[in-house]
Amino acid sequence: MIRRFLRLLAWWPAERMLRVACWLGLVALTLMIWGVVSGQPVPVVLSMSLAQMIGVLACVLFGLSIAADVGRSK
Amino acid sequence: MGSLATPMGALAVGSALIAASLLIHHLVKKPEKLLLTTRLKLLLGLAVFPFIAAVSTTASGMQRTTEREFCGSCHVMETHLTDLLDPNSLSLASRHSRNAQVGPHACYTCHADYGLLGYPMTKLTGMSHVYKYYFAGYRNYTLPQFHAEVRIAKPFPNANCKQCHSGTLASFLNVREHFGVLEELEQNKVSCASAGCHGVAHRFSKRPEEL
Repeated sequence: MIRRFLRLLAWWPAERMLRVACWLGLVALTLMIWGVVSGQPVPVVLSMSLAQMIGVLACVLFGLSIAADVGRSK
Repeated sequence: MGSLATPMGALAVGSALIAASLLIHHLVKKPEKLLLTTRLKLLLGLAVFPFIAAVSTTASGMQRTTEREFCGSCHVMETHLTDLLDPNSLSLASRHSRNAQVGPHACYTCHADYGLLGYPMTKLTGMSHVYKYYFAGYRNYTLPQFHAEVRIAKPFPNANCKQCHSGTLASFLNVREHFGVLEELEQNKVSCASAGCHGVAHRFSKRPEEL
């Protein structure tokens, strides 16, 4: 099943997606820092919601990219 | 201002900066092959440090949302905050706010419902306040308009007062006036913070007939 999953990911543009993940990660981290530093309602709410959703998306893209790279090398 | 000076705030910003520097390094360097070191670096920059940052951001954010100044940062709460901070005010809310133990978190301490679901439900209600402020017109209200039109969502539960003021100690039981309304207090039919009892908490926000 894992092999099938890795084969399915063969088309995944790992390097490009990793760069996208990095940019998304930077956006998420910026929102988190903004929330902590500013302490105003909107940044605080965004840092606890949107920032974490973007961060999870970046993390998922990273996981898929690494899985695709591993699949390709096998 | 923010919660940067708190341990959780500092941890959040510190880990976010480390993660950001790892990501920027990857974006600038543009490695052609995903070697093990690159993968590990990205694991730290996209998973480990952001996870620490997310947890500590949530912890410091939750703490921040219990602070008096946070509640008072919307302009419609300006009078409430001014009253709380006024050392000469005799309002029920202000007298509680001068208590060193609960003062900095006075709004949250009194308005957070008691019980297992008190904390999450209070946070959800707070989110609805943010929504109403930015998307349901509260933002454009003048202070007199806000005081005239907006009321607390549900009657203030006496259980919230009892979080600190026990109903079983002598200080409560020795007050004769409490005996006549014990049942009503229990059923929330008479409010501790009503005009005939300890007085409304925020007098300035009430119409004359409510006092």
